[in-house]
Amino acid sequence: MSLAHDFNRGIWKENAVFKLLLGLCPVLAVTTSAENGLGMGLATTFVLVCSNAVVAMMRHLIPDKVRIPCFILIIASFVTVVQLTMEAYAYDLFQALGIFIPLIVCNCLILGRAEAFASKHPVTNAVADGLGMGAGFTLVLFILGSIRELVGAGEFLGFSIFGADYQPVILMILPPGAFITLGLLLALMNKVEKR
Amino acid sequence: MKEFPRLLLALTLIAAISGAILALVEQATREPIKEQRRQQMLRALSAVLPQFDNSPDADTLTITTGTDRHGNPVDTTFYRGRKDNQITGTAFQVVAPDGYSGNIAVMVGIRPDHSVHAIEILTHAETPGLGDKISEPWYKELFSDKTLGGSDWRVKKDGGDFDQLTGATISARAVVGAVRTGLELYREHEDKIIAQGDGQ
Repeated sequence: MSLAHDFNRGIWKENAVFKLLLGLCPVLAVTTSAENGLGMGLATTFVLVCSNAVVAMMRHLIPDKVRIPCFILIIASFVTVVQLTMEAYAYDLFQALGIFIPLIVCNCLILGRAEAFASKHPVTNAVADGLGMGAGFTLVLFILGSIRELVGAGEFLGFSIFGADYQPVILMILPPGAFITLGLLLALMNKVEKR
Repeated sequence: MKEFPRLLLALTLIAAISGAILALVEQATREPIKEQRRQQMLRALSAVLPQFDNSPDADTLTITTGTDRHGNPVDTTFYRGRKDNQITGTAFQVVAPDGYSGNIAVMVGIRPDHSVHAIEILTHAETPGLGDKISEPWYKELFSDKTLGGSDWRVKKDGGDFDQLTGATISARAVVGAVRTGLELYREHEDKIIAQGDGQ
């Protein structure tokens, strides 16, 4: 198993959102703008890589019977680190993402990778897997956020794209817009794959 | 049962290490976080107060202004802006409990002549694209120079003087109510705010 393989798998073949439909809560909730999507994706990637590394490092020490509480403890610690660091150095993003930062703890993508991959592989592979899965997750959040911001507000990364005359489709910023966009993207993905 | 101590040890160890790391991070970020919150408060104060040359966040007065529905006292902190030691305005936070989704925290700045200088929306969770228009500049400017007696403090839909927002009457109604509450609070406690100010 090469490191490149472990990395690439997360971006397309086993993309957490598009292929496994994991971690949908933050995917749907915070992608109201490209910036929020990117910020959430990067925060999740950081937690994922760190928790994968530590879980892989301690995989022989953690008794099987208490592995889930151990994983959760490790993940929760890193989430709190991210939360405090963001509040201290990226206050605006921290406020935009709000409650969804502490909720990274219950992103099933992270626990899923700890359980399914990191606890059975060496540290380097676990880190590669975390980076790949995180990159795939970030990519989806960024695409989703970009589309919703573009259609729903006529902006991209805060800059007006369509000018002042554009009538934003507010629905796209609201929760239904998240489902509609994700559904269309999934349909497109399946169409492309079938070719 | 033989493996029980091992399980206990593993969990305790991980919890202890996590705790230690978190304590370190908390310590390292405590000051920056405090500073960020202070900066945000200062930004809001600068936005709602008339010209000042003091530090309004150091020139405060906290008064118990009411009780919540459990009967506990509610404190309001008044921030005073001064120029040449004369009070130019007073800012404080009013929470509208009747937003469309959750509380709306509004910072109001009031001049000594009981008129609104400016307002700022501190936190809200109103619908993006509809209710969140309350934090747009043109909407906040509706309140500038208004006084308790000079306007009918209701949205136009209810027969008052303030524009509601299309599709978000509830948000607008909550903000109008909060600013009115602010003006009333100021009128009620003005003596204390002004009096305590001169003594320092």
